[in-house]
Parts: sequence; C-alpha cells; structure tokens
Amino acid sequence: MAPSGTVADPPPSSATDSFNSGASEENDIRPFFVLHKASSGSLQGKSTGTVRSKRTIESPTPKIAKKSEVESAEEEDGQFLSNRRLKIFETVWSKIEKTIENVLRDSNSKIFNGIYDWIRESFESIRSYGALSLSEAVRSYPVLTQASSKQLFTALVLTRNLEMVDDLLTFEELNLHLKSQGCHVAKLSSMDFSAKNGVGGCLRGLLRQFVMPTLDVADVTTLASWYRENENHKNPVVIIVDDTERCCGSVLSDLILILSEWAVKVPIFLIMGVSTAHDAPRKILSVNALQRLCASRFTLSSPAERMDAVLEAVFLKPCSGFTVSHKVALFMRSYFLCQDGTLTSFVRTLKIACLQHFSSEPLSIMLEHFCQDRSNQLTGEGNGLLTESTMKHAFDLPSVTRNKITRSTCELLPQFLLDLQRMPNPWSIVVLCIYEAGKFDKLRLLDIFCETLDPEARYLKYFSPSAIVNCQSQVSGRSVIRQVLRKLRDLSPSQWRSLLKRWENLSAEFSEINDKVMELHPLKRSVEAAGQRQGLPNSPKKHASRSHTKLEKELSAMADKVAAVIEFMLREYMKPVESVPFHEILCFKNVDKLQSALLGDPRGRIQSDLLEAHNILHCICCSQRGTTLLPSMHDTSILYTLAQEHADVINLHDWYQSFKTILVSRSSKTKQNSKTCSKSKKRKDRCEEPEAPAEALIQARFCRAVMELQIAGLIRLPSKRRPDFVQRVAFGS
Amino acid sequence: MEDVENIEEDECGFSRNYFLAKELGGSSKRSAHKLSDINIVDEQELRETALNIETKHEKEISELLNDYKTMYPKWVFELRCGFGLLMYGFGSKKLLIEDFASASLTEYSVVVINGYLPSVNLKQVLLALADLLSELLKCRRKSSGSLSKGQETFPSRSIDEILSFLHGSQSEDKDCFICVVVHNIDGPALRDPESQQTLAQLASCSHIRIIASIDHVNAPLLWDKKMVHKQFNWLWHHVPTFAPYKVECVFFPLVLAQGSTAQTAKTAAIVLQSLTPNAQNVFKILAEYQLSHPDEDGMPTDDLYSASRERFFVSSQVTLNSHLTEFKDHELVKTKRNSDGQECLNIPLSADALRQLLLDLNQ
Repeated sequence: MAPSGTVADPPPSSATDSFNSGASEENDIRPFFVLHKASSGSLQGKSTGTVRSKRTIESPTPKIAKKSEVESAEEEDGQFLSNRRLKIFETVWSKIEKTIENVLRDSNSKIFNGIYDWIRESFESIRSYGALSLSEAVRSYPVLTQASSKQLFTALVLTRNLEMVDDLLTFEELNLHLKSQGCHVAKLSSMDFSAKNGVGGCLRGLLRQFVMPTLDVADVTTLASWYRENENHKNPVVIIVDDTERCCGSVLSDLILILSEWAVKVPIFLIMGVSTAHDAPRKILSVNALQRLCASRFTLSSPAERMDAVLEAVFLKPCSGFTVSHKVALFMRSYFLCQDGTLTSFVRTLKIACLQHFSSEPLSIMLEHFCQDRSNQLTGEGNGLLTESTMKHAFDLPSVTRNKITRSTCELLPQFLLDLQRMPNPWSIVVLCIYEAGKFDKLRLLDIFCETLDPEARYLKYFSPSAIVNCQSQVSGRSVIRQVLRKLRDLSPSQWRSLLKRWENLSAEFSEINDKVMELHPLKRSVEAAGQRQGLPNSPKKHASRSHTKLEKELSAMADKVAAVIEFMLREYMKPVESVPFHEILCFKNVDKLQSALLGDPRGRIQSDLLEAHNILHCICCSQRGTTLLPSMHDTSILYTLAQEHADVINLHDWYQSFKTILVSRSSKTKQNSKTCSKSKKRKDRCEEPEAPAEALIQARFCRAVMELQIAGLIRLPSKRRPDFVQRVAFGS
Repeated sequence: MEDVENIEEDECGFSRNYFLAKELGGSSKRSAHKLSDINIVDEQELRETALNIETKHEKEISELLNDYKTMYPKWVFELRCGFGLLMYGFGSKKLLIEDFASASLTEYSVVVINGYLPSVNLKQVLLALADLLSELLKCRRKSSGSLSKGQETFPSRSIDEILSFLHGSQSEDKDCFICVVVHNIDGPALRDPESQQTLAQLASCSHIRIIASIDHVNAPLLWDKKMVHKQFNWLWHHVPTFAPYKVECVFFPLVLAQGSTAQTAKTAAIVLQSLTPNAQNVFKILAEYQLSHPDEDGMPTDDLYSASRERFFVSSQVTLNSHLTEFKDHELVKTKRNSDGQECLNIPLSADALRQLLLDLNQ
C-alpha cells in the first residue's frame, strides 16, 4: 500500500465525472472511483430506479428489451414481496441466531463463573499483602524481591478447538461477563503481539482500552496511576488474550515480565486462550516469563458438544419453524466433520440454507407464523398471503401432488398447515429419546438427527426379527439406531433407571408416547430387584451365579421391550418432515445450491470452464466435433487444452507452434473446402471461421492467452534460469 | 461417508495427474527448442495487434451475460441479507459486476476498487467511503426529520477510527449501506496480508457490503476462517463470462516480448498517480534532474534529499526513504554507485518516455 503521508490526498475521483462519456476508460485505471451515489428516492425508502449508467450490457435482441418493459409493471409487486421476504428472513434468522447465542452462553456460563471466582479469590490474596500508599503504587521502585509478589495469576482457557473462529464469541462473552461483575477488562489479540510493534504496541493497546482511546504512550506507570484513580483499585484488572498460539512469543514474554513486576501494585489477571494443548505456553514463552506465571486451567466444552446443543435448540425445540431436508442435513454434517469442523461454519451454512430457502421458495414467507407464538393460528386467507398465484404454487408442490391432494380439497389447507405446525413435536420427542439412549454410547445428536430425517425411513429395517438376531454379529454399515439398539443390551440397572426417567420427562407433554414409557416401569422394577439381589447393581456381567443369570434375563427382556418401544415410536411418530404435504414451505431441500454458494471451487471450476468452454458458451461451432481442437474455440481454451499434453514445464516454442497449427491448418482447410463444397460453405458462414490469421495476430493472440492463463494462476511465466519454459501450476482440480 | 470417498478420490486424481506430469517431464527429454526460434514480430506491432484482437463468440458471451441478468434480484436479496458476493469463473467479470451495480443497486451508493492495478491506497478508499456514508446519514436524518446527534463528522485519523465509523451502531437501519465492488480482490495490489485484513475488516462493517471478483485459482488461500466466516461472509457465484481480460492484462508482460520497456512508462504513470502528491513531486525532481543531466549515472540521494526538503516535499530523511522504497518496489527507480562511490538514483526509462511521463503527471 502506498504511504499516505501527512497530507490527506483528495480522492482521485468524484461521483459526477464517472458518468461522463469516455470516463469509463479513465475509471479503469483509477485505483477506485464512485460508480454512482444512492438515488434520492431510496432516502425516502422508495426505489425509483432511474439512474442509468453507461456501463450496461447491451441486450443483443430487442425481444429482451421488450420483455423487460412488461416486467417493469410487475417490478413493483416484486419489490414489495422482496421487502417482505427480507423482513421475514430477518425475523426468522434473528430468532435462530438468538437461540444459538443463548445455548452457547448457557454452555459457557459454568466456566465463566469459575473464572470469576478464581479472579476474586486471587484478588483477595493479593490485597492481603497490605495496602500500598499512592506514591509507592505508581512508581517502579523499590523493586519487590519476594518471589511470590512477582507472580502473575494466569488462567489457561483450553478451547479444545484448533480453529480460533469459534472462540471469538466465547471470549467476547467472557469479556462482557467479567465486565458486568465489575472487573476492568481489556482484550488483546495476536495482532497486538506482533514482533513489528514489540511490547510497546501491546502496552499501547492496553492503555487505550483502559485509560483513554486516544492515548499514544507505552508506559506502565500510566496504568498504575490510572488504577489508583477514583475507585478503580477496588476491582481487579483482567487481560484476555484469545489466541495465544498465534502471538509472537518474545513480545508476550516481555509483557508478562513487565506486568509481573507490577503484580502487587496493579493486580493483573491474564486469561490466555489455548487451543492446542495445555503445554502450549511452554513452547512459546521464555523460561523467565514461565516462572512468573501462576497458572490455573479451565476447559471449555468441545465443538461437537456445543454443536449438539445448538442442533437440539434450533431443530428439535420450538424455534423458528425452519428446517432442512435429509440430504441437506447430510451435507451439513459431512461439511462439519470432514471439511471445517467449526460451529461458526455450521451456523453460516444454516444461514445460507435459510437465505436460499427464502430466495427460492415463494411460500417461505409463511414461516412468519411458525416463528410467532403457537397460540397464533395459521389462517392464510386472513392476512392476504394466499393469493391465487401462491395457492396455485402451493398445490403444485411435489409433496402435494404426490399425496394426490387437489384444489378440490382446498378447504383442507389450513388443516394441513396446522399439522405441519404441530408435526415436529412428537418427532422431536422421539429423536431426543433416542439421543438419550445413545448418550451411553457417546453418540452424537448430529448423527442421530441425520439418520432419522431419512424420508425413506431406512432405519426401520433394523427392527425386523432377523436384524435383531444378527445385530451383534453384523458390523458392516454404520447406523446410529442400530448402535443404540446394541448398546441397550449392555446397560446396567442404574443406567436403565436414569434413561427411563429422562424419557418420562421428555414425553411428559405427549401422552401416547408417555403411556408406552410408563408401561416399562414394572419391568424396570424387576430389573432393579434382580440387581439388588445380586448386590452389584452397576456391573451386570460379572459372575455366572444364579442371581446373575436371573438379572441377565431381566436385562435382556428389558432391552427387548425398550427396543420395541423405540420401534413403536419410530413407526408411529417418526414422520420425517419430507413425507408431509406442504413441507416445502419450511424445509430447505436444494443441497446443490447450498453447496455451490458455500464452497466455491475456483480451482476445479476455472479449469473446467477452460476445458469445456463450449458447454458454457453453448455455441454450435465448437461443440459439434467431439474433443478435437477447433480454431473457432476460445484462444485460452485451446492453449490450456494443449498445455494438458505437456509435463510440468511447457516449452514455449512448442506450445506456440501447436497453437499456431490449430489456428492455421483448420482455417486453410475450411477455405479449400469452401471452394468445392457448398455444404461446408454454409458451415463456414455459421462458424465464421476466420481466414488464416497473420503471424503477428497469432503471436498477439498467443500472448493474450498466456496472459489470461497467468491471471487465472494456471501457469508461471519463464524464469531467468529457464527462459524458454513456462511452468504448469495446476494439475487437475 | 460418500463425501469422504469423493474427497479422497478427487485427491487421488490430483496426485495422479501431478505425478503423471512429473514423470512425463523426467522420461522424455525436454524439448530443446528456443523461444528465439520463432520469428517474433516487432514488439510495437505485437502490442498494437494485441489491442485489436477480435473477441471470439461475442454473441454467445453477450447471451451469457444476459442470462446472468436474471440472477440480479437474487444477488440484491443476498446483499441485503448481509452476505458478500464473490464472483469467480473464467473471463473478465468487470463488465458484469458493474452492470449489475448500475442496474440493480441504484438505491445504494457504489464504490469500485480496481484491484488489478499494481497499487491501490486503501486508506484513501476508506476515507472516500466514510465521506459517502456521512453524506448519506445526513440525508437520512434530514428526510426522517430527526435531529442529528453530531455523529456525522467522521474522524479522519487512523484506519481503525474510520472503520469504526463505518461500522456504525447495530440498531440503525440495516438497509443503509454502501456497496463496495472490488475487481480482482486477489489482484497484485491487494494480495498482501495487511490489505486483505483491512478489506476483511471493511467487509464486516455494518454499513458496507462487498461484491468482489477473483480470477486466480488459489485465491481462497488469501483468507483464514475468521475472514471467510465472520468478516467477508462470502456467497460464491460461479459466473464464467469468457470476456477478454482487457484492462486486467495491461500490467502483465507479453510472453513473446521479454525485457520490454515500452509498457513501463504507462504503468509508471499509473503507479505514480496512486501515490501522494509529495511522493509525485519528489519523483518529478528526480526526473527533471535526469533529463537535464543525461550523461550522469543518476542523482545522488543526498542531493535529492536537500532539493526535496528545500521545496517542503519531505520533512526528514525517513519520509524520503519511505517514498524511495515505494519507487523501488514498483521498479520506478534503481540505485547504483557512481565513480565517486556515491549512491545514485536512476529512473530506468528513456528520455522520451520520461518527458511523456512528466507531461502526464503535470496534467
């Protein structure tokens, strides 16, 4: 970046001149320019759409222009709908976001309180050294010699997460939590601990956050005198460093050394986020600094645990109504497990899914009602949502036509919608019940959720008698439900007790399931009795005594019975959302769209653009003749296809010659043909193949194509060592 | 599970291709043909011809661009929902994005950054954005009739302060934002980590939405997860256009015309225009000296310092050095030692080119 100097330069462009004729070329070489300013209409919240710039793609046919005129009448309607959609999207998403925030806050609150208690206790112990007079407290001497008075209290917060991105919010919350308890908190990140700015940089950062934002000195005495001001010294000072591993070790060590010298005068507590292992500080800090640390350890919940909590709150508890299909859930799961592993990315995927849902499904605006209180009944006609066109759309939905629901049953629509609204309740109870059973085997809710969403209900096959017999011998295929069923046989009586209790709580509001759970109680009692007789309630598989066989029998009967209850729940209530009519209103299904918006694949796609250009351009001339290279093809496309035949380096001379052969030989052939055959003449007209181009033109085209490949990053230009070769950079996608 | 297998298969395909290519390079002898074997036409002619290459498939390309027009409302919706748009695919996307901005983003101010240029000063961009925003907020307050709380004057001091002004408060109208179009966010001027950090911070501001294009296959490597998920918040759009990279190409050398100098006069002018007036003036002193002393090796650094200081273009040696570093980075200036052992500065351009450059600068 160019230095800006002390004189503020005028921006090289202003808004007015960007519309002048000929300005566009000038704008191309300006570092930046204002294309246009907001139209005045937008200031009042209306769109006028009158500003037209020069830079528009001209429509090749008048047809399209005409069409757009017709469309303009509909534009206003569209504008209204899109505003409405946006508003509802915001409502829905903010509801989901808030739910997630609350879940995360809850999952962290225990640790946060622990940290605060630790700070309070340590603060009191420092204060017990005795009060310092003002003059003592703000100067750097006399140097305290006791080793204990130079200890800097440090909390290592283990994030159990290699990616920092999930923990940004956690530390932000910690910051707020400690502030609300009265602590003075400053947050530093690895950017403040750069070798370039040294320890002065991070001291400045600290002072800016504590003393005043415009301060530009780096002096601990300023901090000390600030701490003595007013009532400041009644509360501890906390410094949060969220990504310790990324900090410059020497700078952090220096800061620790400086602060520890002042530890009694300014009681500072350092909170370091550690993502790798608890010995990470040993790897980055100097020995001197390490000796000054008096460290405690706190551990946050793992991303997978948080993920399950989020999943439960968003999809299984009443939240926004928005949900995803089996395929989308599988994609999100594999993206989380195989590619990213951060909760942040999962949430972002969800947001993109939600956005895509709103931008592709007109009926998605009905989610507004799901989002509101349950007491608010869905009456589509009442609020004018169900216009003729939306009704038509609603009855054209695949789930509706599949279930043979026609317009004649139109009056049933509100009933269907009510069902839809109620539908997830028993469904989520079943999923949570299975999750509870799976917890004994440390199964993830994410896996259970994905499997139970299956619209074809393939999980039911595990309940056929043969599957139950074989369930222990068959290992192939990973099914969570089968794992749950298998695990049931290993549960101890006490585990049974806790499982039934949790099931009871979960199904409390749904009597049909609750009754079935209640039926298990007599069995539970007999299992418990058998366990007590044996005297070892927690270890079901020990001695082969008589009471033990009795217990085993009871346990096995219990497992069979519970498996039957699970089967009943799955069969009766596990209606996956995708099998319900009108589910398209709240369920996002287009996994390809989601994938392409979330994961751009420039490496693969740009190469396939070049190698299969005719598929994108849809031109008649290039796609006809299979894989042979034609002069009518895009130059860069030809050149890149030729490059595939070369090794990791390409001889420029050879490359040029083959490029030239393609351009010249074909053209001349066509020329010869056109003299003799009228058919090929026609083709010539259609393809508009140029005559053999001049040498200079071929060379210029070659240069241009090489340049474009260079811009795409597919080749590297000749080096001084190898002046006649370019290097291939990408090999396949 | 399927996905895991797919990924593994892709990776296998990749490594297979790589080793095949390597093997091919090792087994058969490398071609010994020299570039000089080609009868390369005169460089000037090559450049002129290159400017006038006819675009193939013009009709199909414009149809393709027209197809993308149907996506415009969707893109606007995505921007309004708080996402950034990232366009990729082969072909220059400059026209497409600017057409989209002109046609569909009329309600919002649009600022374009040309990342393909060799040098872009992001601080100036931020200042201009802050200007626009304060103007916009003023208008809004006037139209809504509420009295301003005196927040419309933005601090023009540090990048952080401008960014925090652009970030605004969350409670404000969510639909009040400026769109920033960044052509080639992976371009040479923006490729360094600091620029990307600044852009990411800019993208995360509540009053800013970014629409960017990338052309390099490895562009995603510029960003870490925080930037991708929390700041840029990209939605990817594959929009190959096959349009020629006309402007983007200006700054690349022609592969068949190595060691060319003609281009540098033009690129030098563009680089200089992006520098501060003081830096430009220092360069002018150097250029004028070189023109008036054609026989010397260049201007001694000390002389340049005293001349610049006399005219108040620099206040200290440090400022001069920072200008000189900038010049050297863009190959505007070379240093060598003259016969007396003094360090001399020399502009590697011919006298004619230099005169033309001075004329351009003075306009």
